[in-house]
Amino acid sequence: MYRWLWRRLPGGTTGKTACAAILAIAAAALLWFIIFPWITPQLPLDHVMPGG
Amino acid sequence: MRTVLRIFGECCLTAGAIVLLFLAYLVWGTALAASAHQHDFATQLQRQWRTHRDATPATTRLHLVTGQPFAFIRVPRFGRTWRFAIVQGTGLAQLALGPGHVPGTALPGQVGNFAVAAHRVTAGNPFYHLNQLRPGDDVMITTAAATYTYEITHTELVLPGDTAVLDPVPGHPRQPPHQAMITLITCDPPWTGTHRIIVFGSLGAQTPSTGHHR
Repeated sequence: MYRWLWRRLPGGTTGKTACAAILAIAAAALLWFIIFPWITPQLPLDHVMPGG
Repeated sequence: MRTVLRIFGECCLTAGAIVLLFLAYLVWGTALAASAHQHDFATQLQRQWRTHRDATPATTRLHLVTGQPFAFIRVPRFGRTWRFAIVQGTGLAQLALGPGHVPGTALPGQVGNFAVAAHRVTAGNPFYHLNQLRPGDDVMITTAAATYTYEITHTELVLPGDTAVLDPVPGHPRQPPHQAMITLITCDPPWTGTHRIIVFGSLGAQTPSTGHHR
């Protein structure tokens, strides 16, 4: 999976590394700012209200 | 076979990394967001109260809007710097901002039950140490009008379905209240939804706001 991705990335080793870093940061940002805030209320975590 | 194993291994590593990132989000991400909101709320309340005082000195009515702050809560046992703005409402969206006032319960200083719920963990862990409050400890609620000091009377551990703790006289649904009480609510044990820890207090001193709010 990652090997396949690495082969598809453009440029030499430096270019590939930079590209991979950007992709990793983008994926982390997507998780942190969109997916995690959406999924947190759906989990049975720390529900504090009586009856709720 | 090797390819299948490698892909499986890569998926496991990816899943592990996502779970670690999620834990970091729960601990730091939600706390950062809450602390930014709390900072804004403090500024907002102080500005509101200053203008309000200039306009109408003594008669200050509370203006409750869901998701908006209207009071500060301080608990000396939690440290000198421990202070949160209380927002109206206890939906998950409001609790993500800070402690929330349970809609329909009394207002600070009012006869009846002023109920406040907050997260034990996440959103800056406002009520993390709620289980450490002891009878006699103070809880200070500051509004535009006054600072109300409640004294803790007792603590209970109840099941999630027990809404009687929110009654005007906790545990006695139809009894009319004669006393101003406070009820602080969070979950127990931390991170779970199995029980609720409930701390009760009754109003002691009450000092009109002087014009100085930390």
